[in-house]
Amino acid sequence: MYLLWKAPEVKIQRMSALTLVALAGTLALGACGSDNNTGTTGSNGSGSTGTAGGAASSADCPSGTVSAEGSSAQKAAIEEAISAYQDKCADATINYNATGSGAGIKQFIAKQADFAGSDSALKTAAGSDGKIEQAEADKACASPAWNLPMVTGPIAIAFNVKGVDKLILNADVAADIFNAKITTWNDPAIAKLNPGVTLPSEPIKVFFRSDESGTTENFTKYLKAAAPTKWTADPAKKWSGKGEGKEKSAGVSSAVKSTEGGVTYTEWSYAKDNQLGIAQIDSGAGAVELTGESAGKAVAAAKVTGTGNNLSLKLDYATKEAGAYPIVLVTYEIVCSKAADATKGKVIKGFLESFSGTDFQKSLTDMGYAPLPDEVQSKVATAVAALQ
Amino acid sequence: MSHTATATTAANDPDSSGARHRDPLFTTASGGRKTKDLIAKVVMWAAFLLALSPLVWILWQVISFGGQNLMQSEWWTHSMRGITTRREGGGAYHAIMGTLLQGLVTGLISVPIGVFTAIYLVEYGRGRLARAVSFMVDILTGVPSIVAALFIYALWVTTFGWNRVGVAVSLSLVLLMIPTIVRSTEEMLKLVPNELREASLALGVPKWKTIASVVLPTAFSGIVTGVLLGLARVMGETAPLLILGPYTKNINFDLFSGNMATLPTMINDERQYLALPAAHDRVWAAALTLILLILLLNLAGRLIGRAGAVKA
Repeated sequence: MYLLWKAPEVKIQRMSALTLVALAGTLALGACGSDNNTGTTGSNGSGSTGTAGGAASSADCPSGTVSAEGSSAQKAAIEEAISAYQDKCADATINYNATGSGAGIKQFIAKQADFAGSDSALKTAAGSDGKIEQAEADKACASPAWNLPMVTGPIAIAFNVKGVDKLILNADVAADIFNAKITTWNDPAIAKLNPGVTLPSEPIKVFFRSDESGTTENFTKYLKAAAPTKWTADPAKKWSGKGEGKEKSAGVSSAVKSTEGGVTYTEWSYAKDNQLGIAQIDSGAGAVELTGESAGKAVAAAKVTGTGNNLSLKLDYATKEAGAYPIVLVTYEIVCSKAADATKGKVIKGFLESFSGTDFQKSLTDMGYAPLPDEVQSKVATAVAALQ
Repeated sequence: MSHTATATTAANDPDSSGARHRDPLFTTASGGRKTKDLIAKVVMWAAFLLALSPLVWILWQVISFGGQNLMQSEWWTHSMRGITTRREGGGAYHAIMGTLLQGLVTGLISVPIGVFTAIYLVEYGRGRLARAVSFMVDILTGVPSIVAALFIYALWVTTFGWNRVGVAVSLSLVLLMIPTIVRSTEEMLKLVPNELREASLALGVPKWKTIASVVLPTAFSGIVTGVLLGLARVMGETAPLLILGPYTKNINFDLFSGNMATLPTMINDERQYLALPAAHDRVWAAALTLILLILLLNLAGRLIGRAGAVKA
């Protein structure tokens, strides 16, 4: 290497030396970087490396790094949960990548993610590739893998119609809209549900999720259950209705925002963030507005179908209960009941304890989620306590 | 009266102007040619402006949306730990360091391989093996980044069962960087005049020493330029990062364990909440940071290249 430096052009040497110094200098900035964002928002944890962090770790705070992956529907909720937990336990780090439910489960089975987030529980029947998700996950864990319902996210029918703030729909009309049987906003079927509202004659532009999505699956489950005569296609992650495809929740929401006469189904948080109109649903007992409470009512009616601490929820989409908003999605965390790595296991356990805790669940409504009903929440708490 | 007559004669006889008669090379163009020239000019400028407009528009967009965040020192010194997409604040420090570290490791692996391959091809390679190597480099140049990423994923994760870490990203970037380095170094070595080699060999200097102390120093600046340009190219790469480098909001300098953030994956993560102003600004700020980083590398490359072009 020293031979290279015997180059005749001294000038070049100096320049390359300068570049190298500059590069080295940038890397040396390493000493200046900080994970401590406490000063900026006043509510955050201290450095990941620092034992001398601002927030003193209490005795029951584990340390370690955990990586999770999966559903984008719960991204906002889990991010808040992570932030809150890291505030409390400065030495714990949790990463969550919102790559989609399907990808999350795949990475969990491939042991690339320490736990997975998913909009549907692990399937117990063989899939198209002949493999059973639950069995595969159990194998990857070397212990039973548990589904833990953690966040319920109502799905909003979000619309953008000029001059219309309040829109009431029922399952039949919604099915017709998403099947393109009803094509204009002033269709008599819509007008009948909305007396006194001036509806424009604009065409209805339906947007759907072009990627395979748990939201699509849950929404079509609702349509199939509540309007079986109007919606005949089987519920699936892939959209079977009409309209124009857009990628991810962010895609459909922004499409509706920029298109007059647009309508889509999306997680409540996205509809809220984009300031879209949200349709009220009339299941037979009067129009129900989408609130944390009304969605919580529908979740409370759900049946726990799992065995032991493996909790899957079966929602009753065709509910006619007064004041219950029926289009709900439950997102799960999928974890190993006995973690392969004890350090990581402790972090996961501590984090899920905080995530499923009453205090945190209550704060979820601000973000467009609904808290777990008390009964389900206590079951989840029991399961989390049994994690090893 | 006579005045008018002269004017009429001149008008009737356009060829009477002296210059045209005397020197046909410097005639002013006829009307038809002038129009053609004008049309060509307009079309050319229109095409130029058309090509330029998206570039200017993108730059304007990125700077106006992302400039704000870059002005805060926090952006350069803090990570995103604890900052959810809904909150203001946070920085790109973790992502900048990740991008630089992975780029550095990519360079450390691919520069020796690339440069030595080029030396072989120019100085030693004859016959079938050299042709095969050259052909393989051509093929490698055509490999899309997603294929390189999937190849490493198949090797690293599926075959060996290891976790997705920074080094895996670097390895897939190496696959993309080697061909660029081989090609640029090859060109530079070819530019070194044969007389220099011959003079050195005539003095009894062995071939390896000729290469090490005559050929390489002469082509040195060109090689460095090629390396920096290659580095700039791979650091903006996204596909391998999405597949092999899961995002984290925390600082992680360990290339061998844990998630490591990079600027492209940071953009991808914040992008999902574009409707929220805080996330929106961070997406553009991260994009601007990436552009600046690559611009700096490019500039460094060009400067070194200009300062020390190979002299015959």
